[in-house]
Amino acid sequence: MKRIFTRISVLAVFCLLAINVAFAQNITVIGRVTDGGDKSTIPSVSVMVKGTQIGAQTDATGAYSINAPANATLVFTYIGYVTQEIAVGNRTNINVVLQSSSQQLDQVVVVGYGTQRKIDVTGSVASVKGEEISKQASVNPISALQGKVAGVSITNSGAPGSSPRITIRGTGTVYGNTGVLYVVDGVWFDDVSFLNPGDIENLSILKDASSQSIYGIRAANGVVLITTKKGKTGDPVISYNGSVGYKKVTNQIEMANATEYATIINELIKSNDATATPLFANPSSYGEGTNWYNQGFRNALQTNHQVSVNGGTEKTTYNFSLGYTNEDGIVKTQNFKRYTAKFSNDFQVLKPLKIGYTVSGTAINTNDINDGIFRQLYAAGPVVPVYYADGSYGDANDFGLGGGNNFNPQVTLDYFNQKSKNYRITGNVYAELTVAKHFTFRTSAGGDFGQNEVRAYSPVYQATQGQRTTQSTLNINRDENRNWILENTLTYKNTFGDHNLTVLLGQTAQRRKNYFVRATAFDVPYSSDGDLYLALGTASTRRVEDGGSLLTSASYFGRVNYSFKDRYLLNATIRRDGASQFYGGGDLWGNFPAVGAGWIVTGENFMKDQKVVNYLKLKGSWGKVGNAGVPVNPTTLTIDQSGKLVAFFNGVGYTGANVNSIVPSFLNWERTVGTDIGLEAKFLNNRLSIETGFYNKKTEQAIFDINVLQSIGTSSGKLIGNQADFQNRGFEFLATYADVAKNGFSYSVSGNIGINNNKVLSVITGLNPIYAGGAGIANGALATRTIQGQPIGAFFGYQVAGIFQNAAEVAASAQRTSAKPGDFKYADVNGDGVIDGKDRIVLGNPNPKYSYGLSATFGYKEFDLSLDVQGVAGVDVYNANVAYRFGNENFSKDFYDNRWRGEGTSTTYPSANVGSTANAAPNSFYVEDGSYIRLRNVQLGYTLPTSLMTKLTLRKIRVFVDAQNAINLFGYKGFTPEIGGTPTNAGIDANVYPLSATYRLGLQVTF
Amino acid sequence: MKIINKNNYIQKLGLIALCSTILITPSCKKDFLNVDPQAQQPAVTFWKSQDDATKAVNSIYGNLRTWENTAFPALAVESIPGDDAEKGSSVNDASYLNNFDNYTAGSTEGQFSGFWTGQYQNINLCNQVLDNIPAINMDASLKARYLGEAKFVRAYSYFRLVRAFGDVPLRLNVPKDATEFNIPRTAKAQVWAAIEKDLDDAAAILPQTYPAVDRGRATRGAALALHAKVAMYLGKWDQVLSLTNTVMGLGYDLFPNYEQGFRLNNENNIESVFEIQCEINQSIPGSATSQYSQVQGVRGSVGGWGFNVPTATLAAAYEPGDVRRDATIIFRGETTPQGDIIAATGDNPMYNQKSYVPFSLIITGVNEGAQQNVRVLRFADVLLMNAEAANELNNITLAKTSLNKVRARARGGIAGVLPDIISTDKEVVRQAIWKERQVEFAMESDRYFDVIRQGRGTAVFGPKGWKAGKNEVWPIPSTEIDLSAGTLTQNPGY
Repeated sequence: MKRIFTRISVLAVFCLLAINVAFAQNITVIGRVTDGGDKSTIPSVSVMVKGTQIGAQTDATGAYSINAPANATLVFTYIGYVTQEIAVGNRTNINVVLQSSSQQLDQVVVVGYGTQRKIDVTGSVASVKGEEISKQASVNPISALQGKVAGVSITNSGAPGSSPRITIRGTGTVYGNTGVLYVVDGVWFDDVSFLNPGDIENLSILKDASSQSIYGIRAANGVVLITTKKGKTGDPVISYNGSVGYKKVTNQIEMANATEYATIINELIKSNDATATPLFANPSSYGEGTNWYNQGFRNALQTNHQVSVNGGTEKTTYNFSLGYTNEDGIVKTQNFKRYTAKFSNDFQVLKPLKIGYTVSGTAINTNDINDGIFRQLYAAGPVVPVYYADGSYGDANDFGLGGGNNFNPQVTLDYFNQKSKNYRITGNVYAELTVAKHFTFRTSAGGDFGQNEVRAYSPVYQATQGQRTTQSTLNINRDENRNWILENTLTYKNTFGDHNLTVLLGQTAQRRKNYFVRATAFDVPYSSDGDLYLALGTASTRRVEDGGSLLTSASYFGRVNYSFKDRYLLNATIRRDGASQFYGGGDLWGNFPAVGAGWIVTGENFMKDQKVVNYLKLKGSWGKVGNAGVPVNPTTLTIDQSGKLVAFFNGVGYTGANVNSIVPSFLNWERTVGTDIGLEAKFLNNRLSIETGFYNKKTEQAIFDINVLQSIGTSSGKLIGNQADFQNRGFEFLATYADVAKNGFSYSVSGNIGINNNKVLSVITGLNPIYAGGAGIANGALATRTIQGQPIGAFFGYQVAGIFQNAAEVAASAQRTSAKPGDFKYADVNGDGVIDGKDRIVLGNPNPKYSYGLSATFGYKEFDLSLDVQGVAGVDVYNANVAYRFGNENFSKDFYDNRWRGEGTSTTYPSANVGSTANAAPNSFYVEDGSYIRLRNVQLGYTLPTSLMTKLTLRKIRVFVDAQNAINLFGYKGFTPEIGGTPTNAGIDANVYPLSATYRLGLQVTF
Repeated sequence: MKIINKNNYIQKLGLIALCSTILITPSCKKDFLNVDPQAQQPAVTFWKSQDDATKAVNSIYGNLRTWENTAFPALAVESIPGDDAEKGSSVNDASYLNNFDNYTAGSTEGQFSGFWTGQYQNINLCNQVLDNIPAINMDASLKARYLGEAKFVRAYSYFRLVRAFGDVPLRLNVPKDATEFNIPRTAKAQVWAAIEKDLDDAAAILPQTYPAVDRGRATRGAALALHAKVAMYLGKWDQVLSLTNTVMGLGYDLFPNYEQGFRLNNENNIESVFEIQCEINQSIPGSATSQYSQVQGVRGSVGGWGFNVPTATLAAAYEPGDVRRDATIIFRGETTPQGDIIAATGDNPMYNQKSYVPFSLIITGVNEGAQQNVRVLRFADVLLMNAEAANELNNITLAKTSLNKVRARARGGIAGVLPDIISTDKEVVRQAIWKERQVEFAMESDRYFDVIRQGRGTAVFGPKGWKAGKNEVWPIPSTEIDLSAGTLTQNPGY
């Protein structure tokens, strides 16, 4: 808000000045002012004759006209841009390109409950402009942050509209809500997939504990502040942005073809039972067979349209926008549509009173796919045709395949009928009142009301022996969220002499309520969607379940920002939070303090004479934040009344209910304590700027559930509690070089790198680790463990020492009783002559150590080109697809080509029997390097010349082509090493959504 | 002037609003943060009424249907290692189950922790009932009966545990706090003693018959018969004899048609001593939990997985004309008595017929065959236990009477088939009884531990790899040993 105030008052002053034009013997200079970045024209730019009070400002099309002495110098000023001085030199037409003032010291950043001049910030806050987000092909705004900010790691999924996993400075939380807090115009969210990237003005990422602590309760995993676009004073600006493009799967895994499949399945049968007859008498007769990936994948269309209107007077400003996104999935039938509408108004009602609101409505309609489809496409036997000659579906049963791949993926695609509809209204209203000199009181109410409906219908059908239903089923699930937040703040802001002081006091209350209903009816007929009502199902078997959750929190906070001579900076924050999760069984209230200090060295007199460093700031901070993202009522023992406990007597069901869980008697807040030191500097006449810092972040009393003895007999086998301390230590570096060079050529290059070391400092179970990572691993084996001294969720298992080549080798080994030739030979780590659990070691780290990004923009006359390169290194992934086998699943071509198939054929790959218990046990073979580097974005744009625009009475037309993920380099053998997953289950690839590249053609028009 | 006045007014109003905000919020904060659990009953409000007691006892029966109690974990630990059953299914499907057939299964095999977990979950539900119901103000005789039912299921679960693992942690109460979580293994003699005490208590309280609406609950006969079985495993033959004699006077009889006795419409028949009650009721979500029939169903048919199939050894074990052979084994290519045609080609030559649900009764969308009850104790078992006890106590005549009663039913009314055992030699009769148990209870998860009990593990299973001194019990699950941080010890040889 502060920024808008400043802007309005500055404009007002200029308006007054502009009236004062009264000089003779001058010439009239006209021209147009454009933005050096996106080439749009800039209205309301102040144009002053240097050394006088003479001024003018640009109109809505960026045009200005001013009377000035022929030898005068004109000064072009606009908030957020570098001021330019241009000598008139008798010219009557001067067009000016203003560069945005990312270099400028008066740059303002959004921080919690307000804004701060960047030079005053003592914590670590990264700012990303909305246009950097909206220019990308990403449908989800957070996806677009990938590689943009040092220390912020984004793991994207290829699913349309899906939210990425975002980690700020390493994983510090392993349970419950491990995501960051998003604050959109003051309203708190766990996910912002409903946001139209085009509506975002600015994204601020609070990275260190001192800047996060004002959001105490939910800040432990970092905070992303999103400011949406507000109206700006001036004539209406109407903008259209549109693009059309397509997505294509990249790095598709090559699977064994039908002949190879038949060959390797015969080997597998022989390995399991030497006397069994082979399933396929003549493998080569099957030829290439079906390529199921090609059958299921497609080039997916993606279209985007957005229209916005922005403008206002000194008393009223407005911003309206409409957005539409239609994205197909790379799997046939999958589709995501998002409609957004946003309205915001601000009114200066009275001199001391300002009110306003922002309301966004989002509708998301999706056509869903079966979650198991990627598994099916991987596993399906290529000997099975999609269709037989008579048009019926190919049936795995006819080929004797069964177990593990008793399906035809085409049937799954054809008969899976699930549609989701999501409606959401979010927004806030506020009033801001100057209650006394220097005192501003602000009150705001925000809300988030949403409903998600999923309707799934399965008809009666018999496609294959394994894919059939005898009764139709209609499921309707409805989820409702009703969340609100109230906030009151009082700000005191004053400058006396060299002292700048801002004091903020605030109070907030929140309530988050969820309610869901799930209903099922059987034997619902289908002739049209009009039949899909529960009412048409059989009455006696119709059923309803429901549930919900309720969370409340109350908080008080305060902050002092003090600077002396703009040189010495001091910031201090305290927040006190009460959360219903901790009511009655824990610390109801948590206190989260923070302090930060900075020193602008270049402000000192002794630095005045040097020319090397244009700007140098040293800063340090310390803070404490909390995490209440734990399950509701974690310390309340509740009754299990689920269906599995229903007893049947004489054929009739009777409710069963009992206690079958355990809860801790007491739960403390999970806290993260962070220390930061940093440096900001500018060199080479402000062209080169660097920011660097070290951080040490410690999560204390981390809350999560650990396995408890099964003999306690609980249903989940788990107990929640404050169980561990984690540490993330790291280093971040960011450098930007920008130049407004001559001859119409401009460029900027920016690079960032984050290094993070994740470590478990202690676990309550001592050296007894937390095992997890069962996803995608058959037979209940667990691939990760979290133990003192190692990273969270480190891969853990046997070290493969080779492949048993023959029976003699087996007989001479520690695995003599269980292994067969072609099996993995495991290292007997403890040398006791037995291979058992004690021989397992840490095999890899799913937490990236290095993440980096490199961006470059080039402008030449009307052309602009931008490139983003991004990558991670020092990370491992677990390829669970290889051994996740129950029977005759297909193999990758890589495995087929390299497998052991007799003495001397391979010393690294096992036989076809890779899915046996011993071979599938988590081991080093499945752990692969997860590093990658990719050309994340490349965009080439052309802006039509200004002269043409004037004729068309348009402000701007720009066309562009771009590509996202066009080039991906990695050694991993799956679709993508970008796996994601919850912290203790991260990096396990169990048929993740494949990576795709997006190519687009776009148009931007501003009227 | 007017504007200024209005501004002042607004400013004052703002100050008042600000002050009231500060004053009001602390007073309401306490209630605001006190949020009740949603859609979950807090345990502090439970254990108050007779209705709560009823629901809690129901949950004990419900939990007996779980995967761990009836499907892979149970079949892997109790059935596949026997010589009547083997893994089945396609060669490549769940090949780890072979490790149970050839006794190479190690402590990390997931089925062990599954089986262990399943039994202890039953035990926890029973302990909750036994600890909490006594304080409820309710009908005293119903309360006593409920406690008896819980003791029966607890005894049954410990019986399965001690048979499979030997010494196991003995929990007879809900842990009071974390200090009671990690307890060592209790010597198996004490576990057996606890089982016997529970069964004594249960038999003293439980009724022999229930009204029809309660059909399926544990009866006095069930407690006595299970106690007899426990005593048989302990070699307490006097006790076996007297318990079985008592049960034989309770009105049980053999169901005339052996095959029909295992069909849905003959559940809880006159021969039934205890069955795990299973149903499909689609209006109760999540209740069709049993996968007992599904995992053993004819592979390639409607939803059958084809695991735990009869062996050639079993097929060859029947005497000529024994109706039980055809009633126990579905042969590839046959037509079942219910008219289902079993394909002549397929992964397995034989499937378990005792878990079979006719294809016309299969419903998709739930676990196929989830309505089939699991027969836990049949009167035939009581008769054969009676025979064995009598024989061991040298009452060979009584032994033969009980034994021949079982054989007579299996004759199918055809003279000359399964002639009566007439030998007077104790050893011959003992062998005959053991043999009779093999064929009578084939595919009912009895054979494996029965042979070990008889001390013939090496003789019968040795060719498959069974080793005396090790394989009498299975390994304690390694995950559990890890979690106990060494408090739990491993069985020898694992």
